[in-house]
Amino acid sequence: MLSLLSIFFTCLALILIPCLFIFRRPSVPLFLKKAIIFIKTATSQYNDEEERYGTIEGKEKRGRMPKHVAIILDGNRRWANKRGLRVSEGHEAGARRLLEHVMDCFAIGINTISLFAFSTENWGRPDGEVNFLMAMFEKNFKSEMAYYDRYKVKISVIGRRTNMPESLLGLIQEVEEATKSYKEKHLIMAIDYSGRFDILQACKRLAEKTKNGLIQVEDLDERMIDKELMTSCSEYPNPDLLIRTSGEQRISNFFLWQSAYTELYFPNVLWPDFGEAEYLKALTWYQQRQRRFGLRV
Amino acid sequence: MDSNEPMLLLSSRIGQIGDLGLDLLWRFLHIVVSLFHIVSGIFEAIQSYAISLGLIQKYSSIDIEKLRCLAVVLDIEVARDVAKVVELLQWLKTIGVKQVGLFDSQGLLKKSKDMILEMVPGSMLLQETGEKDISPDRKEGIVIEFISSSDNKEAVVKAANILLQRQLKTSHPEKDEGDNVFTESHLNEALRVVGENVHVPDLMLVYGPVRSHLGFPAWRLRYTEIVHMGSLKYMRYGSLLKAIHKFTGVRQNYGKSFSPLTWI
Repeated sequence: MLSLLSIFFTCLALILIPCLFIFRRPSVPLFLKKAIIFIKTATSQYNDEEERYGTIEGKEKRGRMPKHVAIILDGNRRWANKRGLRVSEGHEAGARRLLEHVMDCFAIGINTISLFAFSTENWGRPDGEVNFLMAMFEKNFKSEMAYYDRYKVKISVIGRRTNMPESLLGLIQEVEEATKSYKEKHLIMAIDYSGRFDILQACKRLAEKTKNGLIQVEDLDERMIDKELMTSCSEYPNPDLLIRTSGEQRISNFFLWQSAYTELYFPNVLWPDFGEAEYLKALTWYQQRQRRFGLRV
Repeated sequence: MDSNEPMLLLSSRIGQIGDLGLDLLWRFLHIVVSLFHIVSGIFEAIQSYAISLGLIQKYSSIDIEKLRCLAVVLDIEVARDVAKVVELLQWLKTIGVKQVGLFDSQGLLKKSKDMILEMVPGSMLLQETGEKDISPDRKEGIVIEFISSSDNKEAVVKAANILLQRQLKTSHPEKDEGDNVFTESHLNEALRVVGENVHVPDLMLVYGPVRSHLGFPAWRLRYTEIVHMGSLKYMRYGSLLKAIHKFTGVRQNYGKSFSPLTWI
Protein backbone atom coordinates (compact mmCIF):
# COMPACT_ATOMS: atom_id res chain seq x y z
CA MET A 1 0.00 0.00 0.00
CA LEU A 2 2.79 2.36 0.93
CA SER A 3 4.63 1.51 -2.26
CA LEU A 4 1.56 2.20 -4.37
CA LEU A 5 1.06 5.56 -2.78
CA SER A 6 4.74 6.38 -3.22
CA ILE A 7 4.47 5.57 -6.91
CA PHE A 8 1.36 7.72 -7.16
CA PHE A 9 3.10 10.72 -5.57
CA THR A 10 6.14 10.28 -7.79
CA CYS A 11 4.00 10.26 -10.95
CA LEU A 12 2.17 13.35 -9.74
CA ALA A 13 5.49 15.06 -9.18
CA LEU A 14 6.71 14.00 -12.63
CA ILE A 15 3.83 15.87 -14.18
CA LEU A 16 3.37 18.87 -11.97
CA ILE A 17 6.77 19.99 -10.72
CA PRO A 18 8.41 20.57 -14.13
CA CYS A 19 5.38 22.70 -14.98
CA LEU A 20 6.45 25.07 -12.23
CA PHE A 21 9.58 25.84 -14.18
CA ILE A 22 7.93 26.04 -17.59
CA PHE A 23 5.07 28.33 -16.70
CA ARG A 24 6.13 31.44 -14.85
CA ARG A 25 2.68 32.06 -13.47
CA PRO A 26 1.24 28.67 -12.54
CA SER A 27 -2.49 28.54 -12.86
CA VAL A 28 -2.69 26.72 -9.53
CA PRO A 29 -1.01 29.04 -7.02
CA LEU A 30 -2.61 27.18 -4.15
CA PHE A 31 -0.69 24.04 -5.11
CA LEU A 32 2.47 26.06 -5.33
CA LYS A 33 2.02 27.44 -1.83
CA LYS A 34 1.55 23.92 -0.63
CA ALA A 35 4.67 22.90 -2.53
CA ILE A 36 6.62 25.52 -0.67
CA ILE A 37 5.18 24.40 2.63
CA PHE A 38 6.00 20.77 1.93
CA ILE A 39 9.58 21.59 1.20
CA LYS A 40 9.78 23.15 4.62
CA THR A 41 8.21 20.08 6.16
CA ALA A 42 10.48 17.73 4.26
CA THR A 43 13.62 19.58 5.17
CA SER A 44 12.55 19.65 8.80
CA GLN A 45 12.14 15.90 8.64
CA TYR A 46 15.48 15.54 6.93
CA ASN A 47 17.08 17.58 9.67
CA ASP A 48 15.39 15.58 12.40
CA GLU A 49 16.47 12.27 10.94
CA GLU A 50 20.03 13.39 10.51
CA GLU A 51 20.22 14.69 14.04
CA ARG A 52 18.62 11.50 15.39
CA TYR A 53 20.92 9.17 13.53
CA GLY A 54 23.98 11.40 13.59
CA THR A 55 24.54 11.57 9.85
CA ILE A 56 25.40 15.27 9.73
CA GLU A 57 29.04 15.66 8.67
CA GLY A 58 30.71 18.94 9.24
CA LYS A 59 29.14 22.25 9.85
CA GLU A 60 26.45 23.26 7.37
CA LYS A 61 27.51 20.47 5.00
CA ARG A 62 24.19 20.80 3.20
CA GLY A 63 22.20 24.00 3.08
CA ARG A 64 18.87 24.02 4.83
CA MET A 65 16.36 26.82 4.65
CA PRO A 66 18.12 30.17 4.88
CA LYS A 67 17.46 32.19 8.00
CA HIS A 68 18.09 35.50 6.26
CA VAL A 69 17.35 36.17 2.61
CA ALA A 70 18.39 39.47 1.03
CA ILE A 71 16.90 40.57 -2.28
CA ILE A 72 18.05 43.29 -4.69
CA LEU A 73 14.83 44.20 -6.48
CA ASP A 74 16.18 44.94 -9.93
CA GLY A 75 14.35 45.17 -13.22
CA ASN A 76 11.16 47.18 -12.62
CA ARG A 77 12.02 49.78 -15.24
CA ARG A 78 13.11 47.27 -17.85
CA TRP A 79 9.96 45.26 -17.16
CA ALA A 80 7.86 48.34 -17.88
CA ASN A 81 9.89 49.18 -20.98
CA LYS A 82 9.44 45.66 -22.40
CA ARG A 83 5.66 46.05 -22.12
CA GLY A 84 5.49 49.60 -23.35
CA LEU A 85 4.35 50.77 -19.91
CA ARG A 86 5.40 53.72 -17.82
CA VAL A 87 8.23 53.25 -15.33
CA SER A 88 5.81 54.02 -12.50
CA GLU A 89 3.75 51.00 -13.53
CA GLY A 90 6.88 48.88 -13.40
CA HIS A 91 7.57 50.04 -9.86
CA GLU A 92 3.97 49.32 -8.86
CA ALA A 93 4.20 45.82 -10.29
CA GLY A 94 7.43 45.38 -8.34
CA ALA A 95 5.76 46.48 -5.12
CA ARG A 96 2.94 43.94 -5.59
CA ARG A 97 5.49 41.17 -6.20
CA LEU A 98 7.33 42.25 -3.08
CA LEU A 99 4.33 41.72 -0.82
CA GLU A 100 3.63 38.28 -2.28
CA HIS A 101 7.21 37.23 -1.66
CA VAL A 102 7.31 38.48 1.88
CA MET A 103 4.23 36.41 2.70
CA ASP A 104 5.68 33.29 1.05
CA CYS A 105 9.07 33.66 2.72
CA PHE A 106 7.67 33.95 6.21
CA ALA A 107 5.26 31.08 5.60
CA ILE A 108 8.12 28.66 4.98
CA GLY A 109 10.11 29.64 8.03
CA ILE A 110 12.56 32.29 6.85
CA ASN A 111 13.18 34.58 9.78
CA THR A 112 14.60 37.71 8.15
CA ILE A 113 14.07 39.25 4.73
CA SER A 114 16.07 42.27 3.60
CA LEU A 115 14.98 44.23 0.58
CA PHE A 116 17.20 46.70 -1.23
CA ALA A 117 14.41 49.08 -2.14
CA PHE A 118 16.33 52.31 -2.77
CA SER A 119 20.07 52.92 -2.84
CA THR A 120 21.88 56.16 -2.06
CA GLU A 121 22.91 56.28 -5.72
CA ASN A 122 19.23 56.19 -6.76
CA TRP A 123 18.87 59.84 -5.67
CA GLY A 124 20.54 60.57 -9.00
CA ARG A 125 17.42 59.44 -10.86
CA PRO A 126 14.93 61.97 -12.29
CA ASP A 127 13.16 63.94 -9.55
CA GLY A 128 9.79 62.73 -10.73
CA GLU A 129 10.77 59.09 -10.39
CA VAL A 130 12.35 59.63 -6.96
CA ASN A 131 9.26 61.47 -5.69
CA PHE A 132 7.05 58.73 -7.04
CA LEU A 133 9.10 56.05 -5.25
CA MET A 134 9.01 57.94 -1.94
CA ALA A 135 5.24 58.35 -2.26
CA MET A 136 4.92 54.66 -3.08
CA PHE A 137 6.88 53.66 0.02
CA GLU A 138 4.59 55.86 2.09
CA LYS A 139 1.47 54.40 0.54
CA ASN A 140 2.68 50.81 1.08
CA PHE A 141 3.64 51.40 4.71
CA LYS A 142 0.18 52.86 5.39
CA SER A 143 -1.72 50.14 3.55
CA GLU A 144 0.30 47.23 4.95
CA MET A 145 0.57 48.37 8.57
CA ALA A 146 -2.45 46.24 9.55
CA TYR A 147 -0.94 43.19 7.83
CA TYR A 148 2.38 43.57 9.65
CA ASP A 149 0.54 43.90 12.94
CA ARG A 150 -1.74 40.94 12.29
CA TYR A 151 1.10 38.61 11.27
CA LYS A 152 3.53 39.99 13.85
CA VAL A 153 6.18 41.11 11.37
CA LYS A 154 8.85 43.36 12.78
CA ILE A 155 9.71 46.20 10.41
CA SER A 156 13.09 47.90 10.35
CA VAL A 157 14.17 50.53 7.86
CA ILE A 158 17.90 50.93 7.40
CA GLY A 159 19.58 53.73 5.49
CA ARG A 160 20.64 57.32 5.82
CA ARG A 161 17.26 59.03 6.31
CA THR A 162 18.73 62.50 5.77
CA ASN A 163 17.04 63.15 2.41
CA MET A 164 13.75 61.40 2.99
CA PRO A 165 10.50 63.39 3.13
CA GLU A 166 9.34 64.19 6.68
CA SER A 167 6.03 62.41 6.16
CA LEU A 168 7.81 59.19 5.20
CA LEU A 169 10.21 59.50 8.13
CA GLY A 170 7.30 59.91 10.53
CA LEU A 171 5.57 56.85 9.09
CA ILE A 172 8.74 54.76 9.33
CA GLN A 173 9.13 55.67 12.99
CA GLU A 174 5.49 54.79 13.60
CA VAL A 175 5.76 51.40 11.91
CA GLU A 176 9.03 50.54 13.63
CA GLU A 177 7.64 51.50 17.02
CA ALA A 178 4.41 49.55 16.48
CA THR A 179 6.22 46.35 15.48
CA LYS A 180 9.38 46.44 17.56
CA SER A 181 8.26 43.74 19.99
CA TYR A 182 7.80 41.07 17.29
CA LYS A 183 10.61 38.57 17.00
CA GLU A 184 9.95 35.65 14.71
CA LYS A 185 9.53 37.51 11.45
CA HIS A 186 11.65 40.47 10.51
CA LEU A 187 11.39 42.59 7.37
CA ILE A 188 14.29 44.97 6.77
CA MET A 189 13.75 47.64 4.14
CA ALA A 190 16.93 49.28 2.91
CA ILE A 191 15.98 52.79 1.77
CA ASP A 192 18.74 55.29 0.97
CA TYR A 193 21.20 52.56 1.91
CA SER A 194 24.86 52.31 0.94
CA GLY A 195 27.16 49.50 2.04
CA ARG A 196 30.11 51.84 2.29
CA PHE A 197 28.13 54.33 4.32
CA ASP A 198 27.07 51.49 6.63
CA ILE A 199 30.73 50.68 7.34
CA LEU A 200 31.57 54.37 7.80
CA GLN A 201 28.73 55.05 10.21
CA ALA A 202 29.74 51.98 12.23
CA CYS A 203 33.29 53.38 12.49
CA LYS A 204 31.88 56.77 13.46
CA ARG A 205 29.70 55.30 16.20
CA LEU A 206 32.72 53.49 17.59
CA ALA A 207 34.62 56.76 17.49
CA GLU A 208 31.87 58.34 19.59
CA LYS A 209 32.03 55.50 22.10
CA THR A 210 35.81 55.88 22.31
CA LYS A 211 35.49 59.62 22.82
CA ASN A 212 33.00 59.00 25.64
CA GLY A 213 35.31 56.45 27.24
CA LEU A 214 32.96 53.51 26.68
CA ILE A 215 35.59 51.55 24.77
CA GLN A 216 39.34 51.77 24.32
CA VAL A 217 40.94 52.40 20.94
CA GLU A 218 43.10 49.29 21.38
CA ASP A 219 39.99 47.12 21.79
CA LEU A 220 38.58 48.01 18.38
CA ASP A 221 38.04 44.89 16.28
CA GLU A 222 35.78 43.37 13.59
CA ARG A 223 33.15 42.20 16.04
CA MET A 224 32.71 45.72 17.33
CA ILE A 225 32.13 46.98 13.81
CA ASP A 226 29.65 44.10 13.23
CA LYS A 227 27.62 45.30 16.22
CA GLU A 228 27.46 48.88 14.98
CA LEU A 229 26.31 48.11 11.43
CA MET A 230 22.70 48.93 10.57
CA THR A 231 21.91 45.21 10.30
CA SER A 232 22.67 44.71 13.97
CA CYS A 233 18.91 45.26 14.47
CA SER A 234 18.47 41.68 13.24
CA GLU A 235 19.02 38.38 15.04
CA TYR A 236 20.61 37.19 11.77
CA PRO A 237 22.54 40.20 10.45
CA ASN A 238 24.47 38.32 7.74
CA PRO A 239 22.32 37.06 4.88
CA ASP A 240 22.56 33.37 3.96
CA LEU A 241 21.25 33.96 0.47
CA LEU A 242 21.33 37.10 -1.67
CA ILE A 243 19.15 37.20 -4.76
CA ARG A 244 19.57 39.88 -7.41
CA THR A 245 17.05 39.69 -10.19
CA SER A 246 17.32 40.87 -13.81
CA GLY A 247 20.51 38.94 -14.57
CA GLU A 248 22.93 41.61 -13.35
CA GLN A 249 25.75 39.95 -11.48
CA ARG A 250 26.85 42.43 -8.84
CA ILE A 251 25.79 43.50 -5.37
CA SER A 252 25.88 47.24 -6.09
CA ASN A 253 26.92 48.56 -2.69
CA PHE A 254 24.46 46.38 -0.76
CA PHE A 255 25.63 44.56 2.40
CA LEU A 256 29.30 44.76 1.43
CA TRP A 257 30.54 43.82 4.91
CA GLN A 258 27.76 41.38 5.72
CA SER A 259 27.90 39.29 2.55
CA ALA A 260 31.32 37.64 2.93
CA TYR A 261 29.88 34.11 2.99
CA THR A 262 26.50 34.82 1.49
CA GLU A 263 25.45 32.60 -1.39
CA LEU A 264 24.89 34.84 -4.39
CA TYR A 265 22.09 33.94 -6.78
CA PHE A 266 21.63 35.97 -9.98
CA PRO A 267 18.58 34.74 -11.90
CA ASN A 268 17.95 36.18 -15.32
CA VAL A 269 14.41 37.27 -14.50
CA LEU A 270 13.13 40.80 -13.97
CA TRP A 271 11.82 41.48 -10.47
CA PRO A 272 8.09 41.78 -11.32
CA ASP A 273 8.38 38.40 -13.08
CA PHE A 274 10.17 36.71 -10.17
CA GLY A 275 7.32 34.40 -9.28
CA GLU A 276 6.81 31.41 -7.06
CA ALA A 277 8.55 29.04 -9.45
CA GLU A 278 11.69 31.16 -9.55
CA TYR A 279 11.61 31.48 -5.80
CA LEU A 280 11.26 27.73 -5.36
CA LYS A 281 14.21 27.23 -7.70
CA ALA A 282 16.32 29.72 -5.70
CA LEU A 283 15.60 27.95 -2.44
CA THR A 284 16.24 24.51 -3.92
CA TRP A 285 19.50 25.83 -5.38
CA TYR A 286 20.43 27.20 -1.96
CA GLN A 287 19.76 23.85 -0.32
CA GLN A 288 22.28 22.25 -2.65
CA ARG A 289 25.10 24.65 -1.79
CA GLN A 290 27.98 23.52 0.36
CA ARG A 291 28.71 26.41 2.67
CA ARG A 292 32.05 26.62 4.38
CA PHE A 293 32.32 30.08 5.93
CA GLY A 294 35.99 30.22 4.90
CA LEU A 295 36.88 26.97 6.66
CA ARG A 296 38.23 23.73 5.23
CA VAL A 297 35.80 20.87 4.92
CA MET B 1 -11.47 3.49 23.88
CA ASP B 2 -11.21 0.41 21.68
CA SER B 3 -13.04 2.09 18.83
CA ASN B 4 -10.56 4.93 18.92
CA GLU B 5 -7.54 2.74 18.46
CA PRO B 6 -8.21 1.82 14.80
CA MET B 7 -8.87 5.51 14.08
CA LEU B 8 -5.64 6.52 15.75
CA LEU B 9 -3.78 3.83 13.85
CA LEU B 10 -5.35 4.96 10.58
CA SER B 11 -4.51 8.61 11.11
CA SER B 12 -0.97 7.65 12.05
CA ARG B 13 -0.62 5.62 8.86
CA ILE B 14 -2.03 8.47 6.80
CA GLY B 15 0.46 10.79 8.44
CA GLN B 16 3.33 8.46 7.61
CA ILE B 17 2.20 8.13 4.01
CA GLY B 18 1.85 11.88 3.74
CA ASP B 19 5.32 12.44 5.15
CA LEU B 20 6.80 9.88 2.78
CA GLY B 21 5.07 11.49 -0.17
CA LEU B 22 6.28 14.93 0.83
CA ASP B 23 9.81 13.65 1.21
CA LEU B 24 9.68 12.06 -2.25
CA LEU B 25 8.36 15.26 -3.79
CA TRP B 26 11.11 17.29 -2.15
CA ARG B 27 13.81 14.91 -3.32
CA PHE B 28 12.32 14.84 -6.81
CA LEU B 29 12.36 18.65 -6.89
CA HIS B 30 16.06 18.55 -6.10
CA ILE B 31 16.61 16.00 -8.85
CA VAL B 32 14.82 18.24 -11.36
CA VAL B 33 16.92 21.28 -10.39
CA SER B 34 20.13 19.24 -10.42
CA LEU B 35 19.30 17.85 -13.87
CA PHE B 36 18.62 21.36 -15.10
CA HIS B 37 22.06 22.45 -13.88
CA ILE B 38 23.74 19.37 -15.34
CA VAL B 39 22.18 19.94 -18.75
CA SER B 40 23.06 23.64 -18.76
CA GLY B 41 26.56 22.68 -17.60
CA ILE B 42 26.93 20.36 -20.58
CA PHE B 43 25.83 23.07 -22.97
CA GLU B 44 28.27 25.49 -21.40
CA ALA B 45 31.09 23.00 -21.71
CA ILE B 46 30.35 22.45 -25.40
CA GLN B 47 30.16 26.18 -25.99
CA SER B 48 33.39 26.70 -24.09
CA TYR B 49 35.25 24.20 -26.29
CA ALA B 50 33.82 25.86 -29.38
CA ILE B 51 35.07 29.24 -28.13
CA SER B 52 38.52 27.79 -27.34
CA LEU B 53 38.75 26.43 -30.89
CA GLY B 54 37.81 29.82 -32.31
CA LEU B 55 34.59 28.55 -33.85
CA ILE B 56 32.45 31.35 -32.42
CA GLN B 57 33.51 34.58 -34.09
CA LYS B 58 32.19 37.07 -31.59
CA TYR B 59 34.65 35.90 -28.91
CA SER B 60 37.68 36.32 -31.15
CA SER B 61 38.03 40.00 -30.31
CA ILE B 62 37.57 41.46 -26.84
CA ASP B 63 37.77 45.10 -25.83
CA ILE B 64 40.15 44.30 -22.99
CA GLU B 65 40.80 48.00 -22.24
CA LYS B 66 37.47 48.05 -20.44
CA LEU B 67 38.81 45.54 -17.93
CA ARG B 68 41.28 47.56 -15.92
CA CYS B 69 41.34 45.38 -12.82
CA LEU B 70 40.32 41.77 -12.50
CA ALA B 71 39.89 39.90 -9.23
CA VAL B 72 40.13 36.12 -8.96
CA VAL B 73 38.67 34.59 -5.81
CA LEU B 74 39.75 31.06 -5.00
CA ASP B 75 38.26 28.73 -2.46
CA ILE B 76 40.96 27.56 -0.01
CA GLU B 77 40.78 24.02 -1.36
CA VAL B 78 41.50 25.12 -4.93
CA ALA B 79 44.10 27.70 -3.89
CA ARG B 80 46.46 24.83 -3.00
CA ASP B 81 46.72 23.90 -6.67
CA VAL B 82 49.39 26.44 -7.54
CA ALA B 83 50.04 24.90 -10.96
CA LYS B 84 46.46 25.59 -11.97
CA VAL B 85 46.65 29.12 -10.61
CA VAL B 86 49.76 29.71 -12.71
CA GLU B 87 47.99 28.31 -15.77
CA LEU B 88 45.06 30.65 -15.16
CA LEU B 89 47.39 33.63 -14.88
CA GLN B 90 49.07 32.66 -18.14
CA TRP B 91 45.69 32.51 -19.86
CA LEU B 92 44.79 35.91 -18.46
CA LYS B 93 48.08 37.32 -19.69
CA THR B 94 47.40 35.87 -23.16
CA ILE B 95 43.99 37.52 -23.24
CA GLY B 96 45.63 40.84 -22.35
CA VAL B 97 44.54 41.39 -18.76
CA LYS B 98 46.94 43.87 -17.16
CA GLN B 99 46.13 43.64 -13.45
CA VAL B 100 44.89 40.70 -11.42
CA GLY B 101 44.09 40.50 -7.73
CA LEU B 102 44.35 36.91 -6.44
CA PHE B 103 42.34 36.30 -3.31
CA ASP B 104 42.02 33.36 -0.98
CA SER B 105 40.75 33.78 2.57
CA GLN B 106 43.64 32.04 4.32
CA GLY B 107 46.49 33.75 2.43
CA LEU B 108 47.84 30.52 0.89
CA LEU B 109 48.64 32.27 -2.38
CA LYS B 110 50.50 35.02 -0.55
CA LYS B 111 52.82 32.35 0.82
CA SER B 112 53.43 31.05 -2.72
CA LYS B 113 53.75 34.44 -4.35
CA ASP B 114 57.46 34.19 -5.13
CA MET B 115 56.94 30.87 -6.88
CA ILE B 116 53.94 32.20 -8.81
CA LEU B 117 55.76 35.33 -9.94
CA GLU B 118 58.69 33.21 -11.09
CA MET B 119 56.48 30.84 -13.06
CA VAL B 120 54.51 33.55 -14.87
CA PRO B 121 56.89 35.35 -17.23
CA GLY B 122 56.54 39.11 -17.28
CA SER B 123 54.60 39.25 -14.04
CA MET B 124 55.30 41.64 -11.23
CA LEU B 125 53.93 42.40 -7.81
CA LEU B 126 51.51 45.30 -7.57
CA GLN B 127 53.41 46.85 -4.66
CA GLU B 128 56.51 47.04 -6.83
CA THR B 129 54.82 49.07 -9.52
CA GLY B 130 53.72 52.65 -9.40
CA GLU B 131 50.22 53.54 -10.47
CA LYS B 132 51.55 55.09 -13.63
CA ASP B 133 52.92 51.71 -14.69
CA ILE B 134 49.47 50.18 -14.75
CA SER B 135 48.36 51.89 -17.90
CA PRO B 136 46.80 50.66 -21.12
CA ASP B 137 50.07 51.42 -22.87
CA ARG B 138 51.88 48.62 -21.05
CA LYS B 139 52.07 46.04 -23.78
CA GLU B 140 53.46 43.08 -21.97
CA GLY B 141 53.37 41.60 -18.54
CA ILE B 142 50.78 41.32 -15.87
CA VAL B 143 50.64 42.95 -12.45
CA ILE B 144 49.55 40.63 -9.67
CA GLU B 145 48.20 41.52 -6.27
CA PHE B 146 47.91 38.90 -3.53
CA ILE B 147 44.98 39.43 -1.19
CA SER B 148 43.65 37.59 1.81
CA SER B 149 41.10 38.09 4.59
CA SER B 150 43.57 40.18 6.55
CA ASP B 151 43.11 42.80 3.82
CA ASN B 152 39.38 42.85 4.40
CA LYS B 153 37.90 43.47 7.80
CA GLU B 154 41.21 43.67 9.67
CA ALA B 155 42.39 46.37 7.28
CA VAL B 156 39.19 48.36 7.74
CA VAL B 157 39.63 48.10 11.51
CA LYS B 158 43.20 49.43 11.24
CA ALA B 159 42.07 52.24 8.95
CA ALA B 160 39.20 53.08 11.31
CA ASN B 161 41.74 53.19 14.12
CA ILE B 162 43.77 55.76 12.20
CA LEU B 163 40.71 57.95 11.65
CA LEU B 164 39.75 57.55 15.28
CA GLN B 165 43.18 58.65 16.42
CA ARG B 166 42.97 61.59 14.06
CA GLN B 167 39.64 62.63 15.48
CA LEU B 168 40.86 62.35 19.05
CA LYS B 169 43.89 64.48 18.26
CA THR B 170 41.90 67.33 16.71
CA SER B 171 42.21 70.69 18.38
CA HIS B 172 38.50 70.71 19.32
CA PRO B 173 37.66 67.17 20.34
CA GLU B 174 34.47 68.34 22.07
CA LYS B 175 32.99 69.32 18.75
CA ASP B 176 31.47 66.61 16.60
CA GLU B 177 34.07 66.28 13.88
CA GLY B 178 32.83 62.85 12.86
CA ASP B 179 31.37 64.04 9.57
CA ASN B 180 34.68 65.64 8.61
CA VAL B 181 36.84 62.66 9.49
CA PHE B 182 34.68 59.67 8.60
CA THR B 183 34.10 60.09 4.91
CA GLU B 184 34.70 57.67 2.04
CA SER B 185 37.74 59.54 0.82
CA HIS B 186 39.25 59.62 4.33
CA LEU B 187 38.76 55.90 4.75
CA ASN B 188 40.27 55.35 1.30
CA GLU B 189 43.29 57.34 2.34
CA ALA B 190 43.57 55.51 5.66
CA LEU B 191 43.38 52.16 3.86
CA ARG B 192 46.26 53.25 1.64
CA VAL B 193 48.24 54.22 4.73
CA VAL B 194 47.86 50.67 6.11
CA GLY B 195 49.09 49.34 2.79
CA GLU B 196 45.84 48.37 1.13
CA ASN B 197 44.88 48.82 -2.47
CA VAL B 198 41.54 50.56 -2.81
CA HIS B 199 40.97 50.02 -6.51
CA VAL B 200 37.60 48.50 -7.22
CA PRO B 201 37.92 45.44 -9.47
CA ASP B 202 35.72 45.66 -12.55
CA LEU B 203 35.18 41.91 -12.69
CA MET B 204 35.54 39.11 -10.16
CA LEU B 205 35.87 35.46 -11.15
CA VAL B 206 35.08 32.98 -8.39
CA TYR B 207 36.61 29.52 -8.62
CA GLY B 208 35.43 26.79 -6.29
CA PRO B 209 32.20 25.15 -5.18
CA VAL B 210 30.80 28.14 -3.33
CA ARG B 211 29.10 31.08 -5.00
CA SER B 212 30.14 33.89 -2.73
CA HIS B 213 33.04 36.30 -2.62
CA LEU B 214 34.44 34.52 0.46
CA GLY B 215 35.41 37.68 2.30
CA PHE B 216 37.07 39.65 -0.50
CA PRO B 217 37.77 43.17 0.78
CA ALA B 218 34.30 44.57 1.28
CA TRP B 219 35.30 48.18 0.66
CA ARG B 220 36.36 47.32 -2.89
CA LEU B 221 33.29 45.39 -3.98
CA ARG B 222 30.81 48.13 -4.71
CA TYR B 223 30.14 47.71 -8.44
CA THR B 224 32.17 44.63 -9.21
CA GLU B 225 30.63 42.10 -11.58
CA ILE B 226 30.80 38.69 -9.93
CA VAL B 227 30.91 35.55 -12.04
CA HIS B 228 31.09 32.03 -10.69
CA MET B 229 33.41 29.94 -12.87
CA GLY B 230 33.13 26.53 -11.24
CA SER B 231 36.02 24.26 -10.48
CA LEU B 232 39.60 25.49 -10.98
CA LYS B 233 40.71 21.93 -11.69
CA TYR B 234 38.40 21.73 -14.71
CA MET B 235 38.64 25.34 -15.80
CA ARG B 236 38.27 26.07 -19.49
CA TYR B 237 39.85 28.80 -21.59
CA GLY B 238 36.60 29.26 -23.49
CA SER B 239 34.64 29.90 -20.29
CA LEU B 240 37.20 32.48 -19.24
CA LEU B 241 36.97 34.25 -22.60
CA LYS B 242 33.19 34.16 -22.46
CA ALA B 243 33.07 35.67 -18.95
CA ILE B 244 35.41 38.51 -19.91
CA HIS B 245 33.61 39.10 -23.21
CA LYS B 246 30.26 39.24 -21.40
CA PHE B 247 31.66 41.76 -18.95
CA THR B 248 32.82 44.05 -21.75
CA GLY B 249 29.23 44.17 -22.95
CA VAL B 250 27.78 45.11 -19.56
CA ARG B 251 26.54 48.65 -19.08
CA GLN B 252 26.18 49.88 -15.54
CA ASN B 253 23.97 52.77 -14.54
CA TYR B 254 25.41 52.92 -11.01
CA GLY B 255 21.94 53.37 -9.59
CA LYS B 256 21.08 56.36 -11.74
CA SER B 257 19.04 56.56 -14.92
CA PHE B 258 20.50 57.42 -18.29
CA SER B 259 17.80 56.10 -20.55
CA PRO B 260 14.94 58.29 -21.72
CA LEU B 261 12.19 56.03 -20.34
CA THR B 262 8.83 57.60 -19.72
CA TRP B 263 8.39 57.21 -16.03
CA ILE B 264 4.97 58.67 -15.44
